[in-house]
Amino acid sequence: MRPLLAAATLLMLVGIAWALLAAPTEVFQGLPQRIMYLHVPAVVTAYVALLVVFVGSVLFLWTRQARWDRLAHSAAELAVLFITATLVSGAIWGRPVWGTWWSWDARLTTTLVLWFIYIGYLIVRAWAPGSRGARAAAVIGIVGVLDIPLIHWSAIVLRTLHPQPTVFRPEGPALPASMLPPLGVNLAAFLTLFVALLLLRVRQERMLARLVEQLEAA
Amino acid sequence: MRTIRLLVAKDLRLEWRTREITTTVGLLALLLVIVLAAVRPEPAAAASAMWVTYAFAATLGFARAFALERDHLTGLRLAGTDGGAVFLGKAVVNWVLLAVVQAVSLPAFGALFTEAALARAGALAAPLVLGGVGLAVVGTLFGGLIVQARLREALLPLLLLPVALPVLIAATSATAALLDGASLRAIGPQLQLLAAFDILFATASWLLFEFVLEE
Repeated sequence: MRPLLAAATLLMLVGIAWALLAAPTEVFQGLPQRIMYLHVPAVVTAYVALLVVFVGSVLFLWTRQARWDRLAHSAAELAVLFITATLVSGAIWGRPVWGTWWSWDARLTTTLVLWFIYIGYLIVRAWAPGSRGARAAAVIGIVGVLDIPLIHWSAIVLRTLHPQPTVFRPEGPALPASMLPPLGVNLAAFLTLFVALLLLRVRQERMLARLVEQLEAA
Repeated sequence: MRTIRLLVAKDLRLEWRTREITTTVGLLALLLVIVLAAVRPEPAAAASAMWVTYAFAATLGFARAFALERDHLTGLRLAGTDGGAVFLGKAVVNWVLLAVVQAVSLPAFGALFTEAALARAGALAAPLVLGGVGLAVVGTLFGGLIVQARLREALLPLLLLPVALPVLIAATSATAALLDGASLRAIGPQLQLLAAFDILFATASWLLFEFVLEE
Protein backbone atom coordinates (compact mmCIF):
# COMPACT_ATOMS: atom_id res chain seq x y z
CA MET A 1 0.00 0.00 0.00
CA ARG A 2 2.85 2.40 0.79
CA PRO A 3 4.44 1.90 -2.66
CA LEU A 4 1.01 2.54 -4.18
CA LEU A 5 0.71 5.86 -2.33
CA ALA A 6 4.20 6.82 -3.52
CA ALA A 7 3.32 5.86 -7.08
CA ALA A 8 0.09 7.88 -6.90
CA THR A 9 1.99 10.94 -5.64
CA LEU A 10 4.61 10.65 -8.36
CA LEU A 11 2.04 10.14 -11.11
CA MET A 12 0.00 13.06 -9.87
CA LEU A 13 3.01 15.40 -9.82
CA VAL A 14 3.95 14.38 -13.35
CA GLY A 15 0.35 14.56 -14.54
CA ILE A 16 -0.33 18.01 -13.10
CA ALA A 17 2.98 19.41 -14.34
CA TRP A 18 2.28 18.01 -17.81
CA ALA A 19 -1.28 19.35 -17.82
CA LEU A 20 -0.25 22.82 -16.67
CA LEU A 21 3.07 23.32 -18.47
CA ALA A 22 3.36 21.05 -21.50
CA ALA A 23 -0.19 20.37 -22.74
CA PRO A 24 -1.45 22.72 -25.49
CA THR A 25 -3.90 25.52 -24.64
CA GLU A 26 -7.36 24.92 -26.06
CA VAL A 27 -8.32 27.59 -28.64
CA PHE A 28 -11.90 28.37 -27.54
CA GLN A 29 -11.90 27.70 -23.80
CA GLY A 30 -8.37 28.91 -23.04
CA LEU A 31 -6.70 28.06 -19.74
CA PRO A 32 -9.82 26.83 -17.83
CA GLN A 33 -9.87 23.84 -20.18
CA ARG A 34 -6.88 22.46 -18.23
CA ILE A 35 -9.29 21.67 -15.37
CA MET A 36 -10.38 18.76 -17.59
CA TYR A 37 -7.14 16.95 -16.61
CA LEU A 38 -8.44 16.71 -13.04
CA HIS A 39 -12.19 16.66 -13.67
CA VAL A 40 -12.32 13.65 -16.00
CA PRO A 41 -10.03 11.43 -13.87
CA ALA A 42 -12.02 12.39 -10.76
CA VAL A 43 -15.35 11.42 -12.29
CA VAL A 44 -14.02 8.16 -13.77
CA THR A 45 -12.56 7.24 -10.37
CA ALA A 46 -15.84 8.16 -8.65
CA TYR A 47 -17.81 5.79 -10.88
CA VAL A 48 -15.22 3.03 -10.38
CA ALA A 49 -15.70 3.55 -6.63
CA LEU A 50 -19.48 3.25 -7.01
CA LEU A 51 -19.00 0.01 -8.90
CA VAL A 52 -16.85 -1.30 -6.03
CA VAL A 53 -19.62 -0.30 -3.56
CA PHE A 54 -22.15 -2.20 -5.67
CA VAL A 55 -20.05 -5.35 -5.99
CA GLY A 56 -19.07 -5.22 -2.29
CA SER A 57 -22.72 -4.77 -1.24
CA VAL A 58 -23.98 -7.66 -3.38
CA LEU A 59 -21.21 -9.97 -2.13
CA PHE A 60 -21.88 -8.94 1.49
CA LEU A 61 -25.60 -9.72 1.29
CA TRP A 62 -24.82 -12.96 -0.49
CA THR A 63 -21.92 -14.33 1.59
CA ARG A 64 -22.48 -12.50 4.93
CA GLN A 65 -18.73 -11.97 5.24
CA ALA A 66 -17.89 -8.69 7.00
CA ARG A 67 -14.90 -8.07 4.76
CA TRP A 68 -17.16 -7.31 1.78
CA ASP A 69 -19.02 -4.81 3.90
CA ARG A 70 -15.74 -3.14 4.88
CA LEU A 71 -14.79 -2.93 1.20
CA ALA A 72 -18.14 -1.37 0.24
CA HIS A 73 -18.06 1.08 3.16
CA SER A 74 -14.52 2.26 2.36
CA ALA A 75 -15.32 2.60 -1.34
CA ALA A 76 -18.47 4.62 -0.53
CA GLU A 77 -16.43 7.14 1.45
CA LEU A 78 -14.03 7.52 -1.46
CA ALA A 79 -16.91 7.75 -3.94
CA VAL A 80 -18.27 10.74 -2.01
CA LEU A 81 -14.77 12.27 -1.98
CA PHE A 82 -14.24 11.91 -5.73
CA ILE A 83 -17.79 12.99 -6.58
CA THR A 84 -17.19 16.13 -4.51
CA ALA A 85 -13.95 16.77 -6.45
CA THR A 86 -15.88 16.28 -9.71
CA LEU A 87 -18.66 18.70 -8.76
CA VAL A 88 -16.29 21.39 -7.47
CA SER A 89 -13.86 21.21 -10.41
CA GLY A 90 -16.78 21.16 -12.85
CA ALA A 91 -18.35 24.25 -11.31
CA ILE A 92 -15.02 26.14 -11.40
CA TRP A 93 -14.68 25.22 -15.08
CA GLY A 94 -18.31 26.02 -15.87
CA ARG A 95 -18.18 29.60 -14.55
CA PRO A 96 -15.74 30.97 -17.21
CA VAL A 97 -16.67 28.59 -20.04
CA TRP A 98 -20.47 28.33 -19.77
CA GLY A 99 -20.91 31.54 -17.81
CA THR A 100 -22.64 29.65 -14.99
CA TRP A 101 -21.56 27.57 -11.99
CA TRP A 102 -24.32 25.06 -12.48
CA SER A 103 -26.77 23.79 -15.09
CA TRP A 104 -29.40 21.04 -14.91
CA ASP A 105 -27.66 18.95 -17.50
CA ALA A 106 -28.03 15.15 -17.43
CA ARG A 107 -24.47 14.44 -16.32
CA LEU A 108 -24.40 17.18 -13.67
CA THR A 109 -27.77 16.18 -12.27
CA THR A 110 -26.82 12.50 -12.11
CA THR A 111 -23.55 13.24 -10.33
CA LEU A 112 -25.19 15.59 -7.81
CA VAL A 113 -27.97 13.13 -7.00
CA LEU A 114 -25.42 10.33 -6.54
CA TRP A 115 -23.58 12.57 -4.08
CA PHE A 116 -26.79 12.84 -2.02
CA ILE A 117 -27.52 9.11 -2.22
CA TYR A 118 -24.07 8.09 -1.00
CA ILE A 119 -24.03 10.78 1.71
CA GLY A 120 -27.26 9.08 2.82
CA TYR A 121 -25.39 5.75 2.71
CA LEU A 122 -22.74 7.13 5.09
CA ILE A 123 -25.36 8.69 7.39
CA VAL A 124 -27.21 5.37 7.70
CA ARG A 125 -23.90 3.75 8.63
CA ALA A 126 -23.29 6.40 11.25
CA TRP A 127 -26.77 6.23 12.78
CA ALA A 128 -27.38 2.51 12.58
CA PRO A 129 -24.12 0.82 13.53
CA GLY A 130 -23.60 -2.92 13.62
CA SER A 131 -24.90 -5.60 11.32
CA ARG A 132 -28.28 -3.90 10.84
CA GLY A 133 -26.62 -0.72 9.57
CA ALA A 134 -24.33 -2.78 7.36
CA ARG A 135 -27.31 -4.54 5.73
CA ALA A 136 -29.23 -1.29 5.32
CA ALA A 137 -26.20 0.35 3.73
CA ALA A 138 -25.70 -2.59 1.36
CA VAL A 139 -29.29 -2.22 0.13
CA ILE A 140 -28.73 1.52 -0.45
CA GLY A 141 -25.43 0.79 -2.22
CA ILE A 142 -27.22 -1.53 -4.65
CA VAL A 143 -30.25 0.73 -5.16
CA GLY A 144 -28.02 3.76 -5.78
CA VAL A 145 -26.21 2.12 -8.69
CA LEU A 146 -29.49 0.79 -10.17
CA ASP A 147 -30.74 4.39 -10.07
CA ILE A 148 -27.89 5.80 -12.22
CA PRO A 149 -29.44 5.11 -15.66
CA LEU A 150 -32.85 6.36 -14.48
CA ILE A 151 -31.51 9.64 -13.08
CA HIS A 152 -29.57 10.17 -16.31
CA TRP A 153 -32.65 9.39 -18.41
CA SER A 154 -34.85 11.71 -16.34
CA ALA A 155 -32.43 14.62 -16.78
CA ILE A 156 -32.28 14.00 -20.55
CA VAL A 157 -36.07 14.31 -20.56
CA LEU A 158 -35.34 17.87 -19.39
CA ARG A 159 -32.34 18.98 -21.52
CA THR A 160 -28.57 18.68 -21.96
CA LEU A 161 -25.72 21.21 -22.18
CA HIS A 162 -22.59 19.29 -21.07
CA PRO A 163 -19.87 18.66 -23.71
CA GLN A 164 -20.36 15.26 -25.30
CA PRO A 165 -17.76 12.65 -24.34
CA THR A 166 -14.53 13.21 -26.24
CA VAL A 167 -12.47 10.31 -24.87
CA PHE A 168 -14.65 7.34 -23.93
CA ARG A 169 -16.85 6.84 -26.98
CA PRO A 170 -17.34 3.96 -29.38
CA GLU A 171 -15.67 5.69 -32.36
CA GLY A 172 -12.41 6.24 -30.42
CA PRO A 173 -11.12 9.41 -28.77
CA ALA A 174 -11.83 12.76 -30.46
CA LEU A 175 -9.52 14.65 -28.12
CA PRO A 176 -6.32 15.99 -29.82
CA ALA A 177 -3.47 13.48 -29.51
CA SER A 178 -1.33 15.94 -27.54
CA MET A 179 -3.97 16.12 -24.77
CA LEU A 180 -4.32 12.36 -24.31
CA PRO A 181 -1.01 11.48 -22.55
CA PRO A 182 -1.36 14.04 -19.70
CA LEU A 183 -4.99 12.97 -19.26
CA GLY A 184 -3.88 9.33 -19.17
CA VAL A 185 -1.20 10.05 -16.55
CA ASN A 186 -3.69 11.90 -14.37
CA LEU A 187 -6.26 9.15 -14.75
CA ALA A 188 -3.64 6.59 -13.70
CA ALA A 189 -2.71 8.84 -10.76
CA PHE A 190 -6.33 9.15 -9.53
CA LEU A 191 -7.02 5.42 -9.89
CA THR A 192 -3.80 4.52 -8.07
CA LEU A 193 -4.65 6.98 -5.31
CA PHE A 194 -8.12 5.43 -5.07
CA VAL A 195 -6.75 1.89 -4.74
CA ALA A 196 -4.17 3.03 -2.15
CA LEU A 197 -6.76 4.88 -0.03
CA LEU A 198 -9.23 2.00 -0.40
CA LEU A 199 -6.69 -0.51 0.91
CA LEU A 200 -5.78 1.87 3.73
CA ARG A 201 -9.42 2.30 4.83
CA VAL A 202 -10.19 -1.40 4.52
CA ARG A 203 -7.19 -2.18 6.67
CA GLN A 204 -8.23 0.39 9.28
CA GLU A 205 -11.74 -1.02 9.39
CA ARG A 206 -10.39 -4.54 9.74
CA MET A 207 -8.21 -3.49 12.67
CA LEU A 208 -11.18 -1.70 14.25
CA ALA A 209 -13.32 -4.83 13.93
CA ARG A 210 -10.56 -6.90 15.50
CA LEU A 211 -10.16 -4.44 18.37
CA VAL A 212 -13.88 -4.44 19.08
CA GLU A 213 -13.83 -8.24 19.05
CA GLN A 214 -11.00 -8.37 21.57
CA LEU A 215 -12.64 -5.76 23.78
CA GLU A 216 -15.84 -7.76 23.82
CA ALA A 217 -13.94 -10.95 24.59
CA ALA A 218 -12.08 -9.32 27.48
CA MET B 1 -50.90 -13.98 -2.80
CA ARG B 2 -53.20 -14.76 0.12
CA THR B 3 -50.55 -13.47 2.55
CA ILE B 4 -50.34 -10.19 0.67
CA ARG B 5 -54.13 -9.84 0.65
CA LEU B 6 -54.33 -10.52 4.39
CA LEU B 7 -51.55 -8.04 5.17
CA VAL B 8 -53.16 -5.35 3.05
CA ALA B 9 -56.60 -5.99 4.55
CA LYS B 10 -55.19 -5.87 8.09
CA ASP B 11 -53.39 -2.55 7.53
CA LEU B 12 -56.28 -0.93 5.70
CA ARG B 13 -58.76 -2.04 8.38
CA LEU B 14 -56.48 -0.65 11.06
CA GLU B 15 -56.22 2.61 9.17
CA TRP B 16 -59.98 2.70 8.52
CA ARG B 17 -60.70 2.39 12.25
CA THR B 18 -58.11 4.89 13.50
CA ARG B 19 -57.72 7.09 10.39
CA GLU B 20 -54.42 8.20 11.91
CA ILE B 21 -52.31 8.47 8.78
CA THR B 22 -55.01 9.74 6.42
CA THR B 23 -56.04 12.49 8.83
CA THR B 24 -52.57 13.80 9.63
CA VAL B 25 -51.11 13.38 6.13
CA GLY B 26 -54.28 14.61 4.41
CA LEU B 27 -54.33 17.76 6.56
CA LEU B 28 -50.63 18.32 5.96
CA ALA B 29 -51.22 18.02 2.20
CA LEU B 30 -54.04 20.60 2.32
CA LEU B 31 -51.88 22.91 4.40
CA LEU B 32 -49.06 22.61 1.87
CA VAL B 33 -51.40 23.36 -1.04
CA ILE B 34 -52.56 26.51 0.74
CA VAL B 35 -49.04 27.67 1.63
CA LEU B 36 -47.74 27.03 -1.89
CA ALA B 37 -50.78 28.70 -3.49
CA ALA B 38 -50.47 31.73 -1.20
CA VAL B 39 -46.90 32.22 -2.39
CA ARG B 40 -47.42 31.64 -6.10
CA PRO B 41 -50.99 30.95 -7.26
CA GLU B 42 -50.15 30.78 -11.01
CA PRO B 43 -51.19 27.82 -13.18
CA ALA B 44 -47.52 27.44 -14.22
CA ALA B 45 -46.61 26.52 -10.63
CA ALA B 46 -49.35 23.90 -10.29
CA ALA B 47 -47.41 20.80 -11.36
CA SER B 48 -44.39 21.44 -9.13
CA ALA B 49 -46.67 22.36 -6.19
CA MET B 50 -48.54 19.07 -6.65
CA TRP B 51 -45.41 16.92 -6.56
CA VAL B 52 -43.84 18.83 -3.68
CA THR B 53 -47.03 18.13 -1.74
CA TYR B 54 -47.08 14.42 -2.66
CA ALA B 55 -43.39 14.00 -1.81
CA PHE B 56 -43.95 15.58 1.62
CA ALA B 57 -47.04 13.50 2.25
CA ALA B 58 -45.19 10.36 1.17
CA THR B 59 -42.20 10.86 3.46
CA LEU B 60 -44.44 11.54 6.44
CA GLY B 61 -46.91 8.72 5.75
CA PHE B 62 -44.39 6.03 4.82
CA ALA B 63 -42.41 6.51 8.00
CA ARG B 64 -45.55 5.47 9.90
CA ALA B 65 -46.23 2.30 7.92
CA PHE B 66 -43.47 0.35 9.61
CA ALA B 67 -43.58 2.14 12.94
CA LEU B 68 -46.88 0.27 13.28
CA GLU B 69 -45.02 -3.00 12.83
CA ARG B 70 -41.84 -2.25 14.79
CA ASP B 71 -42.70 -4.48 17.73
CA HIS B 72 -44.41 -7.15 15.64
CA LEU B 73 -41.84 -7.73 12.89
CA THR B 74 -40.68 -10.86 14.68
CA GLY B 75 -44.27 -12.04 14.78
CA LEU B 76 -44.62 -11.50 11.05
CA ARG B 77 -41.42 -13.47 10.49
CA LEU B 78 -42.50 -16.32 12.76
CA ALA B 79 -45.83 -16.53 10.94
CA GLY B 80 -43.80 -17.78 7.98
CA THR B 81 -44.41 -14.83 5.66
CA ASP B 82 -41.55 -14.22 3.26
CA GLY B 83 -39.91 -10.83 2.83
CA GLY B 84 -41.24 -10.31 -0.67
CA ALA B 85 -44.86 -10.71 0.48
CA VAL B 86 -44.41 -8.27 3.38
CA PHE B 87 -42.88 -5.78 0.94
CA LEU B 88 -45.71 -6.05 -1.57
CA GLY B 89 -48.35 -5.80 1.18
CA LYS B 90 -46.81 -2.68 2.69
CA ALA B 91 -46.20 -1.10 -0.73
CA VAL B 92 -49.85 -1.58 -1.72
CA VAL B 93 -51.04 0.01 1.53
CA ASN B 94 -48.62 2.92 1.15
CA TRP B 95 -49.75 3.47 -2.43
CA VAL B 96 -53.44 3.40 -1.47
CA LEU B 97 -52.87 6.01 1.25
CA LEU B 98 -50.88 8.22 -1.14
CA ALA B 99 -53.58 7.84 -3.81
CA VAL B 100 -56.22 8.94 -1.28
CA VAL B 101 -54.14 12.06 -0.53
CA GLN B 102 -53.73 12.71 -4.27
CA ALA B 103 -57.45 12.35 -4.91
CA VAL B 104 -58.48 14.48 -1.93
CA SER B 105 -56.05 17.31 -2.71
CA LEU B 106 -56.83 17.48 -6.44
CA PRO B 107 -59.89 19.74 -5.97
CA ALA B 108 -57.74 22.10 -3.89
CA PHE B 109 -55.23 22.35 -6.74
CA GLY B 110 -58.13 22.92 -9.11
CA ALA B 111 -59.55 25.72 -6.99
CA LEU B 112 -56.30 27.48 -6.08
CA PHE B 113 -54.03 26.94 -9.10
CA THR B 114 -55.75 25.94 -12.32
CA GLU B 115 -59.11 24.43 -13.20
CA ALA B 116 -57.30 22.15 -15.62
CA ALA B 117 -56.39 20.01 -12.58
CA LEU B 118 -60.05 18.93 -12.41
CA ALA B 119 -60.98 19.15 -16.08
CA ARG B 120 -58.09 16.85 -17.02
CA ALA B 121 -58.32 14.56 -13.99
CA GLY B 122 -58.76 11.50 -16.24
CA ALA B 123 -55.50 12.04 -18.12
CA LEU B 124 -53.70 13.17 -14.95
CA ALA B 125 -54.43 9.77 -13.42
CA ALA B 126 -51.60 8.31 -15.57
CA PRO B 127 -48.68 10.29 -14.08
CA LEU B 128 -50.34 10.37 -10.64
CA VAL B 129 -50.67 6.59 -10.47
CA LEU B 130 -47.30 5.73 -12.07
CA GLY B 131 -45.48 8.36 -9.99
CA GLY B 132 -47.34 7.38 -6.83
CA VAL B 133 -46.38 3.73 -7.31
CA GLY B 134 -42.72 4.75 -7.74
CA LEU B 135 -42.76 6.78 -4.51
CA ALA B 136 -44.57 3.99 -2.65
CA VAL B 137 -42.13 1.30 -3.82
CA VAL B 138 -38.93 3.16 -2.86
CA GLY B 139 -40.57 4.61 0.26
CA THR B 140 -41.57 1.14 1.46
CA LEU B 141 -38.09 -0.27 0.86
CA PHE B 142 -36.38 2.55 2.77
CA GLY B 143 -39.11 2.70 5.42
CA GLY B 144 -38.44 -0.95 6.23
CA LEU B 145 -34.70 -0.40 6.07
CA ILE B 146 -34.56 2.29 8.74
CA VAL B 147 -37.43 1.22 10.99
CA GLN B 148 -34.98 0.43 13.80
CA ALA B 149 -32.61 3.35 13.16
CA ARG B 150 -32.40 6.44 15.28
CA LEU B 151 -33.87 9.62 13.77
CA ARG B 152 -35.77 7.61 11.16
CA GLU B 153 -38.24 10.42 10.42
CA ALA B 154 -35.30 12.59 9.35
CA LEU B 155 -33.53 9.76 7.51
CA LEU B 156 -36.41 8.72 5.28
CA PRO B 157 -36.65 11.90 3.15
CA LEU B 158 -32.85 12.04 3.00
CA LEU B 159 -32.80 8.62 1.35
CA LEU B 160 -36.12 8.66 -0.50
CA LEU B 161 -35.93 12.03 -2.26
CA PRO B 162 -32.61 11.59 -4.13
CA VAL B 163 -33.40 8.03 -5.21
CA ALA B 164 -36.93 9.00 -6.24
CA LEU B 165 -35.75 12.11 -8.09
CA PRO B 166 -36.32 10.50 -11.53
CA VAL B 167 -39.95 9.91 -10.49
CA LEU B 168 -40.39 13.49 -9.33
CA ILE B 169 -38.78 14.97 -12.47
CA ALA B 170 -40.70 12.79 -14.93
CA ALA B 171 -44.02 13.07 -13.09
CA THR B 172 -43.78 16.84 -12.65
CA SER B 173 -42.91 17.35 -16.31
CA ALA B 174 -45.74 15.05 -17.43
CA THR B 175 -48.23 16.75 -15.09
CA ALA B 176 -47.18 20.22 -16.29
CA ALA B 177 -47.61 19.18 -19.93
CA LEU B 178 -51.08 17.72 -19.26
CA LEU B 179 -52.22 20.83 -17.39
CA ASP B 180 -50.97 22.82 -20.39
CA GLY B 181 -53.33 20.87 -22.63
CA ALA B 182 -50.93 18.28 -24.07
CA SER B 183 -52.28 14.88 -25.06
CA LEU B 184 -51.35 11.62 -23.30
CA ARG B 185 -49.39 10.67 -26.41
CA ALA B 186 -47.15 13.74 -26.02
CA ILE B 187 -45.98 12.67 -22.56
CA GLY B 188 -45.10 9.14 -23.70
CA PRO B 189 -41.38 9.45 -22.80
CA GLN B 190 -42.15 10.56 -19.24
CA LEU B 191 -44.68 7.75 -18.73
CA GLN B 192 -42.17 5.22 -20.09
CA LEU B 193 -39.57 6.45 -17.61
CA LEU B 194 -42.06 6.22 -14.73
CA ALA B 195 -43.09 2.71 -15.72
CA ALA B 196 -39.45 1.61 -16.06
CA PHE B 197 -38.67 3.02 -12.59
CA ASP B 198 -41.69 1.28 -11.05
CA ILE B 199 -40.84 -2.10 -12.56
CA LEU B 200 -37.09 -1.95 -11.82
CA PHE B 201 -37.46 -0.85 -8.21
CA ALA B 202 -40.46 -3.05 -7.43
CA THR B 203 -38.42 -6.07 -8.57
CA ALA B 204 -35.24 -5.00 -6.79
CA SER B 205 -37.07 -4.19 -3.54
CA TRP B 206 -39.04 -7.43 -3.66
CA LEU B 207 -35.75 -9.34 -3.94
CA LEU B 208 -33.88 -7.27 -1.34
CA PHE B 209 -36.61 -7.16 1.29
CA GLU B 210 -35.61 -10.51 2.73
CA PHE B 211 -32.39 -8.83 3.97
CA VAL B 212 -34.24 -5.75 5.17
CA LEU B 213 -36.44 -7.66 7.61
CA GLU B 214 -33.72 -9.76 9.19
CA GLU B 215 -33.09 -9.25 12.88
